[in-house]
Amino acid sequence: MGGKVTCTLGEVKNRADLIVYWGGNPAECHPRHFTKYTLTQKGKFVPKGRKDRTMILVDIRETPSAKAADIFLQVRPSKDFEVLTTLRALIKGQRVSAETVAETGLTLEQLQDFAERMKKARFGVLFFGMGLSMTRGKHMNSAALLSLAAELNAFTKFVAMPMRGHGNVTGGDVVMRWTTGYPFGVNLSRGYPRFNPGEFSTVDLLLRGDNDAALILGADPGATMPQPAIDHLARIPTIVLDPKVTHTSRLARVHITTAATGISAPGTVYRMDEIPLPLRPALKSPYPTDEDVVRRIYKAVAKKPAWFPGTK
Amino acid sequence: MLRITGGKVYDPANNINGQIKDICISDGRIVSEVEGGRTIDATGMIVFPGGVDVHTHVAGAALNFARAMIPEDHRRNAPYVRGERHRGGIGGATPTTYVTGYLYAGMGWTTVNEAAVPILSARHTHEELRDTPIVDKSCCVLLANNEILLDLLEAGETERARHVAAWQIWAAKAYGVKAVNPGGVAAWKWGKDAKGLYEPVPGYNKVTPAKIIAALASIVDDLGLPHPLHLHCNNLGAPGNYNTTLETMKVLEGKRAHLAHLQYHAYGGDDWFTMRSKSAEVADYFNAHPNLTTDAGAVLFGNTVTITADGPWQHLLYKLTGRKWGNLDVENETGCGIVPYVYKEKNLVNAVQWAVGLELLLLINDPWRVFLTTDHPNGAAFWRYPEIIQLLMDVNFRREQLKKLAPKALKRILLPELDRQYTLSEIAVITSAGPARALGLAHKGHLGIGADADVAIFNDSKDIARMFAYPRYVIKGGEVVIEEGEIRKAVEGRGYVVRPVYDEKIEDYIRPLFQQYYTMSFDNYPVELERLENPDIRSC
Amino acid sequence: MELSITKNATCTFCGCVCDDIELHADGERIVETKRACILGEAWFKNHTAERLYPDALIDGQPATLDDAVEAAAEYLYNAHLPLVYGLSNVTCEAQREAVALAELIGGVVDSHTSL
Ligand code: SF4
Ligand SMILES: [Zn+2]
Repeated sequence: MGGKVTCTLGEVKNRADLIVYWGGNPAECHPRHFTKYTLTQKGKFVPKGRKDRTMILVDIRETPSAKAADIFLQVRPSKDFEVLTTLRALIKGQRVSAETVAETGLTLEQLQDFAERMKKARFGVLFFGMGLSMTRGKHMNSAALLSLAAELNAFTKFVAMPMRGHGNVTGGDVVMRWTTGYPFGVNLSRGYPRFNPGEFSTVDLLLRGDNDAALILGADPGATMPQPAIDHLARIPTIVLDPKVTHTSRLARVHITTAATGISAPGTVYRMDEIPLPLRPALKSPYPTDEDVVRRIYKAVAKKPAWFPGTK
Repeated sequence: MLRITGGKVYDPANNINGQIKDICISDGRIVSEVEGGRTIDATGMIVFPGGVDVHTHVAGAALNFARAMIPEDHRRNAPYVRGERHRGGIGGATPTTYVTGYLYAGMGWTTVNEAAVPILSARHTHEELRDTPIVDKSCCVLLANNEILLDLLEAGETERARHVAAWQIWAAKAYGVKAVNPGGVAAWKWGKDAKGLYEPVPGYNKVTPAKIIAALASIVDDLGLPHPLHLHCNNLGAPGNYNTTLETMKVLEGKRAHLAHLQYHAYGGDDWFTMRSKSAEVADYFNAHPNLTTDAGAVLFGNTVTITADGPWQHLLYKLTGRKWGNLDVENETGCGIVPYVYKEKNLVNAVQWAVGLELLLLINDPWRVFLTTDHPNGAAFWRYPEIIQLLMDVNFRREQLKKLAPKALKRILLPELDRQYTLSEIAVITSAGPARALGLAHKGHLGIGADADVAIFNDSKDIARMFAYPRYVIKGGEVVIEEGEIRKAVEGRGYVVRPVYDEKIEDYIRPLFQQYYTMSFDNYPVELERLENPDIRSC
Repeated sequence: MELSITKNATCTFCGCVCDDIELHADGERIVETKRACILGEAWFKNHTAERLYPDALIDGQPATLDDAVEAAAEYLYNAHLPLVYGLSNVTCEAQREAVALAELIGGVVDSHTSL
């Protein structure tokens, strides 16, 4: 993990005159992003709202978000890294050959214009979505984009932010960081946190058949993971906590129904910019919360003869 | 009930200086007598009031951001392996929350003040503080770049600004007010900085850093907060910045203030090549102005990560080091930067920084006004405090260390000429009694009747760093939490907050502005008091 | 039946986490949402306070919560490398507990982020 130059969404609302979405389709996946945080909001230093802002969309296909953009740049699939590298060279005034650019699906003129707009912005932001961070070369892509944003600060104010997906996935990162020091994929089998993406990430573990039991909460991997990983979950004792009986529940040994987060379960969640928000549930669930159930499982395990690292 | 017998007690607030004296504890407090209960034989040991950290960064968005940036540091340092009575975790420059509590308690510190909390993410800070066991906690809310406040100062509405500030303090469930690079962070949001104390902050006509400093110090005094304005001066870390610091102290005349991490603000020279110590100039002025307290912000050589709400400084550091850079601007309120860093003995700038921290501790003559900190994790991780204690108490050890510096560095610092050695009693002042008093925590930092029973008991040893790194016993709120180097009980700490008086109608003023500038619902902005584990509302 | 109104409710369906939603509920279900987008509205209306599912299932058969908790604890306790996974659609409070549990059972804790 390298650095990241970022901000809260209110900074974008109040200041951003150049908004770039890269590899995402906010119009359909984050429907209120434009209206609540970015494009159409009138901000303190962008009083005319949409008129004061320019939006550039970079994606491999024309999604409904393109309609909202002033400029749509269609990149060939898997060429994001090349585009990002070219932009980094251009903003530093390095020479770039038109041929290398050609394979990205964009022209040198388009990229020069893009680079100039970024340098000239008063406050620019790069939002990047799954299309960039979840495709081939995902870590390289994100790193290149974060570097681009950091380097633009030699010319103007520029920030970057991932368009985090569902629910409280951001909170998961935040909580794991303060409890274990790492954002995800943490192995506690030696009694202290170890982190090695690729080794301790769920799909890798399941594909290798390393786990011999699983507790799933706040996710339905049965609907999203590669089949061999799901097959392994079906082989081992899997426990699912969910407000509904899900795909994964059906292959699990144990399912426990829980209250729905934010609807009937109270607590805290984090927005994509890591701002914590309280939940105000409107309903009272007949089921316990996930928090409750996990705590009860904890207590039930804690009653058994203690295990300490090195004794198992 | 607990009795500590036979120990040499250092309780400077009560003028006890190494006398052998029994300490009795009941219901978490120091009492005059107890019947029965456990007795700890402290014969041949030293008894101190529990340490108090006046300025540290242990929780919240910025620190947690840093945690993600330095996995290599997590691996470099010994991990904390889970035990029967404690959680596992990571140590190093940015320990995980549980480990933070264990490490502080493990060296006899029982109260910490988290120095930088944006209101917008205060809920996050409190969540982490709740997961920081054993120690009592307070925090300071960042107000010096809050645009709602700056706009009021621009309009000359100081009265209203006071009500807004009071409301904000309570919204953040804070204990004090912190000002970081006043005006400079607001300017940074346009990639600029506020350098001159009397120059308008970019985006304003009348608001200058000096004006913000004076206004906030007055607000804090008028509200009667137990802790004065906690100020991180402008131009942190820059060669020649001692002038800014002197000017800042002038602005503060007649007002209380605590100057954070003074080490970073006492440099001469015009650039990195000519940078030198100006600790004498800063200390002289400071010595003559009893309205001020400060903490060292001392630097130790080695790896760490720097993290401050001072965005411009962090961008500079990034350009200097070419290493990773994190930056997080928070709407309307503040920003912060994060850069991993190594202080090297042979590096001239680092050598000057190392010396200046120690020089200030040695040149400021009243230990009640200068406190031991490293601005954790900026100068070094807090768990390295015992090394600084040794440097302060042992001039020969200091001389040995000076030999490791480049000879050129010696011409730029005063440290070789300073012979002062701290006494144990003075150490008790700068680590406990002094910071407790500066924080306005009357029941902390001493062992008189009625005080919180927070006690650290050390072996009396010649090896000072070791002795302070491994207390024999640590007692927190009357419970033995550390014994023979082990965690005996991970008690919960308390969270100190203040509720300054404000006109309830001020919400009607803030609400529409809030809706205009922020992106969350106004009603979701204030932190609920229930979020704090054991809230303790102090009067003001 | 009288509708209860919840203001400034927070939608957790996507990463926008809009916290300005007004919810009208009749005790069992949310009948109206204000300011939520279509995805958010569907999310709120899709969950009710009805007892549509058994408290728990063990091997596909309805079971009590207590039994299910015991069974879960037994499986996790006996595993060599249990996995705690997901953490997307749960609160931070639940995430905290999940990390604590993962530590207790000596497992791996991971979220969607690793996918
Ligand atoms: S209301 Fe729509 S945009 Fe807002 S969090 Fe819910 S799904 Fe996302
Ligand atoms: Zn600090």
